[in-house]
Amino acid sequence: MASYFDEHDCEPTTSVHNSSRRTDLLRMLRLFLRSDVEEYGHILGQFIPDGESLAPPAAKSVVENLPRISLKDLDSKKDAQCPVCLAQFDNDDVIITMPCEHYFHMDCLLPWLQKTNSCPLCRFELVTDDPDYEELKKEKLGQKEREARVADLHSSMFG
Amino acid sequence: MSSIATTRIQRELKDIKESNNQSIKIELKSDEFNNLRGEIVGPSGTPYQDGMYKLSIKIPETYPFNPPIVSFDTRIWHPNISSVTGAICLDILKDQWAAALTLRTVLLSLQALLSAAEPDDPQDAVVAKQYKDNQKAFVKTARFWAQYYANAPGPRDTDCVEKLRKASEMGFYKDISLQALSTHSWDLENAIQYLTSC
Ligand SMILES: [Zn+2]
Ligand SMILES: [Zn+2]
Repeated sequence: MASYFDEHDCEPTTSVHNSSRRTDLLRMLRLFLRSDVEEYGHILGQFIPDGESLAPPAAKSVVENLPRISLKDLDSKKDAQCPVCLAQFDNDDVIITMPCEHYFHMDCLLPWLQKTNSCPLCRFELVTDDPDYEELKKEKLGQKEREARVADLHSSMFG
Repeated sequence: MSSIATTRIQRELKDIKESNNQSIKIELKSDEFNNLRGEIVGPSGTPYQDGMYKLSIKIPETYPFNPPIVSFDTRIWHPNISSVTGAICLDILKDQWAAALTLRTVLLSLQALLSAAEPDDPQDAVVAKQYKDNQKAFVKTARFWAQYYANAPGPRDTDCVEKLRKASEMGFYKDISLQALSTHSWDLENAIQYLTSC
């Protein structure tokens, strides 16, 4: 990734407007989407400074509605530990359940979901508040479905 | 340093000790939990086999919500690692980081990277080009670097030894000669021409 900037003899912009920058980039990406998601996604990735290409935060309303439980609700998993701080759950800890059925301390999960929308353990994605990102996700899914349909058609004709 | 970062590093160090994996090591550089030293053994079946690679690991204040900053201290010839600075191009150290990844998984991923380079996402453009265009020269160079810098065992390639001796006899530093010869796929004439022009 660094090589792009080396070769072009310029510094990566460590912009203070990273989120608006990312939105611009996502908009630009959408223009190219119908030609080739993977290829342009890759090229685009090179313009985003390190660590800034994480997916956007999880939607606030979704995070607020994730079930809060305590250790006694987890009785089958007595030795369970939080994958973020690696400590075992305690009786008075507030534990959040993700839809993928992974458990975290509330205090360990919330800072992560304020940064990006996926489960720290399995990358299960929550919905975001970023319309461009959601649009992009839909487009990608649509592209995959189109490809699958073409493959189906192809195999029904020639398979 | 934040308390979550410190306690997590303490737990990680303990887990690594208990896991008893001989091919990866992590230790504190001083009393500070933000500065660690790692070591991985080059995987077998690769030009890096049994080389000892030292890594510098810096833990950000915001760990584990941000990835550790890892680079190679031992010089290595690999498409995804800078042959000059040791900087690494690996997705999980950048946009694919997740808070449940650990230093142990990072070091295991680096070992996997040594087994399977990704030349289409290079850190070192020169190495990546050689990897794609001249696989034979790449393997020869990567193995020689492993023996020269990482103490990998085995007899050294006589062609490499001879050309490196010739270049250093002309008064060029060995490290710089090796870099020039490697860049020019062991064409002595081109390497010397390059060395005298800069
Ligand atoms: Zn926790
Ligand atoms: Zn999960």
